[in-house]
Amino acid sequence: MTDKSLVQEWTIRSERGALPLIKLGVWIALRIGRRAARIFLYPTCLYFLLSSKRAARNSREYLARVLDRPPSPADVFRHYLTFASCVLDRVFLLNEQIDRFDIRVHGDDVVREIMERGGGCILFGAHFGSFEVTRAVGRQQGHVPISLVMYEENARKIRMALAAINPQLEAEVIGLGRPESLITVAERLDRGHFVGLLPDRNVSGEDRVPYPFLGAPARFPRGPFRMAMLLRKPVVMMVGVYRGGRCYEIFFEPLIDPSEAVAADMDASIEQAMRRYVAQLENYCCAAPFNWFNFYDFWA
Amino acid sequence: MTDSNIQSAQEAELACLIVKTLNLEVEAVEIDPQAPLYGEGLGLDSIDMLEIALAVSQQFGVKLRADDKNNIQIFSSLRSLNTYIQQNRGA
Repeated sequence: MTDKSLVQEWTIRSERGALPLIKLGVWIALRIGRRAARIFLYPTCLYFLLSSKRAARNSREYLARVLDRPPSPADVFRHYLTFASCVLDRVFLLNEQIDRFDIRVHGDDVVREIMERGGGCILFGAHFGSFEVTRAVGRQQGHVPISLVMYEENARKIRMALAAINPQLEAEVIGLGRPESLITVAERLDRGHFVGLLPDRNVSGEDRVPYPFLGAPARFPRGPFRMAMLLRKPVVMMVGVYRGGRCYEIFFEPLIDPSEAVAADMDASIEQAMRRYVAQLENYCCAAPFNWFNFYDFWA
Repeated sequence: MTDSNIQSAQEAELACLIVKTLNLEVEAVEIDPQAPLYGEGLGLDSIDMLEIALAVSQQFGVKLRADDKNNIQIFSSLRSLNTYIQQNRGA
């Protein structure tokens, strides 16, 4: 496996060939239900565990840092299983079967206040737990739409999966491959929408800044933070932690208040916001270690 | 539209705005009015384009819209971006 994420390998190599397979997988999952579908996660995880040595090694390296002890094979398997569980649950969440889940929300007053002002909000998540669970809760409560910004390549794959599950949600995926991509983001925010990004991952890209993360410096992309400062919207950190079984816990924490960020010293504001984001992400990793879904060498 | 690779006065003004807004290392006069701004060429990314859009809206009162059908054309070069701004200025 190359230095890309496991997700990319998971979503099958040939994109054209993938759609029928995704459709089949989704159809089976929805037909047999979550409990039965979960049985298939065990052999699937075992297969991926054995077929990609590099992803397993990266998992072990991460777990050794966060658990502060040498991880056992059972730990690595649990890491994979947590990831696979969240991927499977997305099918049911996107299919509006949110009642299957037991979801607890913390800090929702932060977003409620922003929503009442009607000014739009940027949500910073991570490849950690489930972002989808928040979007599903939002839809259930008649919340403003939450769009997701992602690399064009991923956007294409997600749209493809959505076409098989819930085509109405396709418009909520914004790909980064076009010059006007972020103008779309600005316009949606101005309409009061929420826009989500996962600024922990930047496999390529030059504008990355190292921050201490779980005991060693790791590079984080500066772009999303620069974008947030330019747009002058409140930024809230959002993490949906999978707690096992059918339980999820969603956390909202304020990250950037645009009235506090001084335009004259944008670089300092960006630096402060990045530091805060990385520190919070580290806290979440320590609190729920198996929810970390970057299966590449994060400290490279 | 001309084929010349010499900036017009308006193009020079826009080039200055872009260089100043993005703190680019190139001189404004060195920007080829026919070269792509985004991706290859000047090498700008979508955050740079957002910053340009915000600056253009502030300076010229022209809003660049995400759903404009001609976006590929508009963002294709300094010249075409300037043409769009001039056409929509004070409109």
